[in-house]
Amino acid sequence: MATEDRRSYADGFGQVSRTVGIIFRYLLLAATLFGIAVLAILLVYVANDAIQPLTADAGWHLTFFLTLVLPSLATGGYLAWSNVDGLKLGAMTLGLFVVGLLFSGGVAIIFLEVLPPLVWFAYVIAFAVPVAVTVGLQQRSRQIPFVSRFALATLAFYLSLFGFPGIVGSYAELPQLIPSVATLILFAPIVPLDWIQLTLTVGVFAATPVALYASAISDRRTGLIAGAAALATVAASAVVGPAVVGVGPIPSVVLASVAVLPTAAYVCGTAVTREQARIGLVLPVVIVAGALAGEVLVDTLGYAGPQSWVDWQFLTSDHSGTAANAGLYPAIAGSILLMLTVAALSFPIGVGAALYLEEYAPDNRYTRFIDVNISNLAGVPSVVYGLLGLGLFVTRLGQSTGTILVGGATLALLILPIVIISSREAIRSVPSEMRQASYGMGATRWQTMKNVVLPRAFPGILTGTILALGRAIGETAPLIMIGAPNVLYSFPSELSSKVSAMPLQVYSWASYFATNDFYEKAVPAGVVVLVTVLLAMNSIAIVLRNRYQRET
Amino acid sequence: MSQENMSNDNVESPTEDPTDDDMLLETDVTSGLEEGTQGSRTTHERTIVEAKDVNVWYNQDQALRDITMQVPENKVTAMIGPSGCGKSTFLRCINRMNDMIDAARVEGELYLGEKNVYDDDVDPVALRRRVGMVFQKPNPFPKSIYDNVAYGLNIQDIGGDHDAIVEESLKRAALWDEVKDQLDESGLDLSGGQQQRLCIARAIAPDPEVILMDEPASALDPVATSKIEDLIDELAEDYTVIIVTHNMQQAARISDKTAVFLTGGELVEFGDTKKIFENPDNERVEDYITGKFG
Ligand SMILES: Nc1ncnc2c1ncn2[C@@H]1O[C@H](COP(=O)(O)OP(=O)(O)O)[C@@H](O)[C@H]1O
Ligand SMILES: [Mg+2]
Repeated sequence: MATEDRRSYADGFGQVSRTVGIIFRYLLLAATLFGIAVLAILLVYVANDAIQPLTADAGWHLTFFLTLVLPSLATGGYLAWSNVDGLKLGAMTLGLFVVGLLFSGGVAIIFLEVLPPLVWFAYVIAFAVPVAVTVGLQQRSRQIPFVSRFALATLAFYLSLFGFPGIVGSYAELPQLIPSVATLILFAPIVPLDWIQLTLTVGVFAATPVALYASAISDRRTGLIAGAAALATVAASAVVGPAVVGVGPIPSVVLASVAVLPTAAYVCGTAVTREQARIGLVLPVVIVAGALAGEVLVDTLGYAGPQSWVDWQFLTSDHSGTAANAGLYPAIAGSILLMLTVAALSFPIGVGAALYLEEYAPDNRYTRFIDVNISNLAGVPSVVYGLLGLGLFVTRLGQSTGTILVGGATLALLILPIVIISSREAIRSVPSEMRQASYGMGATRWQTMKNVVLPRAFPGILTGTILALGRAIGETAPLIMIGAPNVLYSFPSELSSKVSAMPLQVYSWASYFATNDFYEKAVPAGVVVLVTVLLAMNSIAIVLRNRYQRET
Repeated sequence: MSQENMSNDNVESPTEDPTDDDMLLETDVTSGLEEGTQGSRTTHERTIVEAKDVNVWYNQDQALRDITMQVPENKVTAMIGPSGCGKSTFLRCINRMNDMIDAARVEGELYLGEKNVYDDDVDPVALRRRVGMVFQKPNPFPKSIYDNVAYGLNIQDIGGDHDAIVEESLKRAALWDEVKDQLDESGLDLSGGQQQRLCIARAIAPDPEVILMDEPASALDPVATSKIEDLIDELAEDYTVIIVTHNMQQAARISDKTAVFLTGGELVEFGDTKKIFENPDNERVEDYITGKFG
């Protein structure tokens, strides 16, 4: 019997039909390609309208093709063939710099228009002093009981921010006896120049991670040197920027801190740690050099570039009745301010709720009821949230319509369920063995959360929040509902000033101002800026997520 | 021998002496069985963990039935039995990790020293600070090796020279020589066996009284396993080790006492390891040990 069977295999094992599977596979491929193709066509179409590459001279195209496109493709192709790690490194460096540039634009707008550097400086110092006190207290945690430490720390914060008797006293109409640290600085007879203030704050914020990164790769001494060098770079930029490039000292400092330092640190760090991939740094050099060379050549040869609508004028001017003069500046700034408000409101509330629901809430009927409702809220149309914001903040709480505060709060409500859900996902993905290990060591729930769960879940939480913010930045309907102005001629500078946002501005150009010029040029230009900002935000989320996945 | 025989007939009244800061119960755990077979070992051993009629339910299902046993101090006590018989459950009773499982309900008395850990006034977190635990799967934190070992010192707010304690713990866990130059690197970069020894170092750093180990070598290769076994042997000089294993040879090699659990959550026999493996009283134990079932 067995031998017979074996003999029959000699003719082969027969065939199993896979026809259906193959058809299915190609159908899926077709669906994927269709989706991607439609999206790509749409983007190209919009970008074409916005940037109008065909209006440039043929010579312009040829020059840039020769100096920029060809060398970049050649370098990229060579790297892809010989050293993929290097290609990734090069692309990453370039991406980091570009995203850094975009963000430094946003930060610079804030310091130029909304937040005077002195106010920022005063409050940073007023925060830094009590934080230092708290850290000092923490080191003596064994001598001083928790309650007194907590009281002392709270007192330090209060005194530093409000003075004595401070806001509590002003209700009782007591005179201010001791000024707060913040007021002391704000009304000091001599204060450092604004770029020095920024160097000491933003510059230090940027130099600290550089120092930590350097000391992680090498040792403490290198870290200190790197930090000092980073700070010196920032300070130097305030002098070099205006003199050489013609950028004011404030944007120069911001640019150095937000774009140049992180890129430089990344380049130096990887050049040391990843020797095989180091060659990839050629790619950004080729691209930047190519762009500069092309620019110079085009200038000297007198070729005209494309009449792009996304240009400096578009980015920096206010709205105007004529399309050619109209710009997106107030809307960009409005979007940034809205984002900051939304993040400030939704992050603590959302992460707090997620932590409570995951770590503390008992598993009972009420919790499950809340669970289901949070999921449902995530699917509620945004216009409903707009209505809610109008009813809650404007009608009930008596805020005026269309302010940054109301808009930010409404958008925060909109993304709150998403933040909660993604944060819970991140918290839940912390392996239970980690928690067990911590509890087994005699950690309390709070210690476990602080030392094990949160550090591990944080990148995931951040990723989810950034993606949710991306959703908020593109919303139009809730802003219309709460009465945000369609166009803004001037800059929003306080939480209570009216705000517009990029999608709203684009929408109004497409509806109320629908002349051909607006419709065909300004709208696509606005869309391109909006999408660029979105991509910049999402790219950070993606990088974070990739890092996170590699570590788990 | 039925388990009633093992219930503690000769417990002396607990020492009320407040200066006895070890809070240990001086008892004679040599019940009939040991007196008969192992005369040389019938010295007075101090009992450190004592279970009296411990029952555990998960919802309606009973996982442990009337467990009564006395674990001697500074010895290795092994718990063996087929899977699902409640060994891990019993281990988790000792440091009240079962409190974390909503479905679990524990009845009976379980003494650590002379204190019933299920008394109302016992804080399970404080209890766990005196009982170290090592799990089946190595579970170092995604922190540096140093921070892993110092974790207990930090959360328990233990003062002193942390560097020295970390070094000492790693030496005791036989890991120091392998990691002394990479204390700042992540504990997750170590091999499985090293990770498990790191977990042991982490458990002993705060100097607990008892170390619980739940199949600590079952996820490891033979070489790493034998390292862990040697280590357990050395640890027993200073600590009481209670180890769950389903590997009978391992139990025979490393333990002084063995408790055999069988399906249904019963403790069928408890006594000196030698006796259990050479001449068990209970037929089912004999069947289990000779591999007839389980
Ligand atoms: N968290 C739990 N919830 C419900 N039942 C459990 C849980 N843990 C263990 N059990 C049950 O308790 C019994 C004993 O399990 P366990 O103590 O893990 O056995 P062992 O460690 O000896 O393999 C098994 O029947 C198991 O299904
Ligand atoms: Mg088990």
